[in-house]
Amino acid sequence: MTLLDVNGLNMSFSGYGRTRQVLHDVSFSVGASERVALIGETGSGKSVTAKAILGTLPGNASVDGGSIAFDGLDLFRQSMADREKLKGTAFSIIMQDPLSSFNPVFRIGQHLDDVMYYADRRRGEVSSAAERKARIHDTLRKVQLADAGRVYNAWPFELSGGMRQRVLIALALLHRPRMLIADEPGTALDVTTQDEILRLINRLVAEEGLSLLMITHNLGVVRQTADRVLVMRHGKIVEQGPLAQVFDAPQEQYTRDLMAAVPPLYGPQVVDQPVSHKTPMITLQGVKKVYAKRGLFNRGEGHLAVDDINITVNEGEIFGLAGESGSGKTTVARMMMGLLSQTEGMIAVTGAPAEGAQRLSQIVYQNPGTSLNPKRTVAQTLSVPLARTEVPADRQARMEELLTLVRLPVSYLSKYPHELSGGQKQRVAIARALAAKPRLIILDEPTSALDVSVQKTVIDLLLELRESLGLTYVIISHDLSLMRNFCSRIAIMLKGEIVEQGTPAEVFAEARHPYTRALISAIPVLTAEEQALKPSVTEEERARFLVTSGGGQAAPQATGTE
Amino acid sequence: MSHLDTTDDTQMTAAWMGWYRFSRNPAAIIGAAIVISVLVMAALAPWITPFPDHVGSVVDFRNRHAPPSAVNWMGTDKAGRDIFSRTVFGFRVSLLLVFGVLVISVPVGAVLGMCAGYFGGWAEKIITGLTNVMLAMPPLVMALAIGNVLEPTLINAMFAITLLWWTWHARLVYRVTVSVANEDFIEAARLAGAGPVHILFREILPNCIAVISVKTTLDAAFVILFGATLSFLGFGVKPPTPDLGSMVADGRQFLPEKWWEVLAPGFAIFYATLGFNLLGDGLRDMFDVEA
Repeated sequence: MTLLDVNGLNMSFSGYGRTRQVLHDVSFSVGASERVALIGETGSGKSVTAKAILGTLPGNASVDGGSIAFDGLDLFRQSMADREKLKGTAFSIIMQDPLSSFNPVFRIGQHLDDVMYYADRRRGEVSSAAERKARIHDTLRKVQLADAGRVYNAWPFELSGGMRQRVLIALALLHRPRMLIADEPGTALDVTTQDEILRLINRLVAEEGLSLLMITHNLGVVRQTADRVLVMRHGKIVEQGPLAQVFDAPQEQYTRDLMAAVPPLYGPQVVDQPVSHKTPMITLQGVKKVYAKRGLFNRGEGHLAVDDINITVNEGEIFGLAGESGSGKTTVARMMMGLLSQTEGMIAVTGAPAEGAQRLSQIVYQNPGTSLNPKRTVAQTLSVPLARTEVPADRQARMEELLTLVRLPVSYLSKYPHELSGGQKQRVAIARALAAKPRLIILDEPTSALDVSVQKTVIDLLLELRESLGLTYVIISHDLSLMRNFCSRIAIMLKGEIVEQGTPAEVFAEARHPYTRALISAIPVLTAEEQALKPSVTEEERARFLVTSGGGQAAPQATGTE
Repeated sequence: MSHLDTTDDTQMTAAWMGWYRFSRNPAAIIGAAIVISVLVMAALAPWITPFPDHVGSVVDFRNRHAPPSAVNWMGTDKAGRDIFSRTVFGFRVSLLLVFGVLVISVPVGAVLGMCAGYFGGWAEKIITGLTNVMLAMPPLVMALAIGNVLEPTLINAMFAITLLWWTWHARLVYRVTVSVANEDFIEAARLAGAGPVHILFREILPNCIAVISVKTTLDAAFVILFGATLSFLGFGVKPPTPDLGSMVADGRQFLPEKWWEVLAPGFAIFYATLGFNLLGDGLRDMFDVEA
């Protein structure tokens, strides 16, 4: 039976005197109790589709044709008031970002009660405060927040990201909708927490007999949470079919490209980077860093960011520092660069800067949107390091050479960052790092702000550059599947300490530390074969290292580390 | 490069989008038109006014206190001088005051604000402390005090306003700098070997230009109004040079019978102030900044 039927939907946005079509003839359906995933990259129109179903389109959007029917009801023919009534009862959305979805000055219970009170009123039902509270407690238990009373009275900041995501799911479930729309749930969270959230959504869908429309760019997530897959690109659905069919035998080149861009965890496609045995460049021995607290009363104590770090980065290798947010990996990288000083221990820099360079190391930041000055052109950005490394006569030629190195047209020198795509901006950031002639480049989550296909092109570029320029990389990331293929050695960090170190092949084949195993097993993978090869984690280990379902502890947010 | 990693060809430049917002804002267009008309009138005053010589020490007692007519469009004052001509010339003094105050206080405020925001520490403590002290002083009291200690002239009034005015810009630029200073691109520039002068003027300043230009436009309106207030109170230019505030002060004695003597200069103050305020609001919407 079909619950949701989208038929020939055409939509456009207008602004600044122009109109741009964002959806082209989008047709699909979601059956009762069916799980459908909508895959697409940034700007493909997947979120717009969800908004059209919910009826929350912005004012400059117009529907140019087509229809959306929910349970036989044509949504575009309903009055505003009738559509309002459907929100939360017919379908609900699970929001993407649990960290910014709550008003910090209201308690969690207030958020839930407001939604319930107004939804009841819209439906013309009268409910007492006590009765609403009982229903809210029921719903909180349903999303595995066992200590519902405590969560009800908590302030948003007292709950960890995972718990807040659960509350967001509870918000969507308050009125027993028949369909859930999940917009990239858990992508703002660590991989282990995301895994828990996906399990929860799956269980709820199964237990309550809900339909699910999962919007995501992560193909691994799709494999876990969908029966049928829709692939969207530039506002068109380019491929759709049952999960197994699309994943095992994709028809479209675009789908195949997307699948190929996902770094494999196990299997024949996995790449092992050669290990370097050259001389060490940077050695850290017993390094400890304590962030001093600035305050009137608690001077002297501090936040222990990292402890007892022993690392050697050899020339020519790609050293990976993996860990979840707050694990201290950024602190370690900044100490390697000399941007932070250690509290205890020894950092020996044995590598010498290249001829004409001021520093041994340069950094490529996570978000190219903030690491490039929005008011300066590419040429102006590149001119800063070149002023130190080149004589004026050679600068123009060197700029052109750098852009060619990062595979950008020379004409891009006169562009401003907002004229470039995310991947292009990251290439400019890489070019800027190269311009300073470093021998070591710190890559701080260099691809986490990019789509997966763009990630692949940037990673390939980095590997080529290392080959041709003889660079050494230290990469910081939480994305273990990326690091499996990119690093020659990796270290896993947990709460400021290194719990495991070795070549990726060793670590992934037989992880010794249970946290490493938990981390690896939480990564969403593309195939059942890979799933089977993941290390097994006992429930006891899961409970020890992951944010657990039950009461959950209020996770203290690490300050100043990430 | 992969076919997946391309920019949108239909993308619009920020400048074009800003201009689009500006041009669709009637208030902003009216403001711009008023400001341009004021600038043109001030520049071309000797050629567009019927009695340009009435700016000097002309006395025509037979024609004093004449009501508006075909010859004297806005009437004449107590010395028989054409009020319309004098009002148009009065814009020159107002704009001179605006220019004199802002050309000093805006750069000084911007540089101090950037230093406070970027260097932090003692620079921040001293500059923000000084800013707060200066902001606590009522500008009118300050101007009157300086005028009484020195001489009640336009130059001294300008000096007094300038002494206080930079604080607004310092505070504004400080706020923008603090939010920009922790961005990755500042650290990246430092790692690339850039010195503090480069970072302040090439990396941070371009990010402040929008707020500075909005604030400066709105300031122009304030300075015109403030200058008129001061000259109304007797801190004007030396007679017979016309200036809007003292023209209102002179005409005030003959109210309500000789109403036209305050009407033209009063309206002129209103007109110029309104123009700069509308333009400033329009620029604020265009740049999408808070100033």
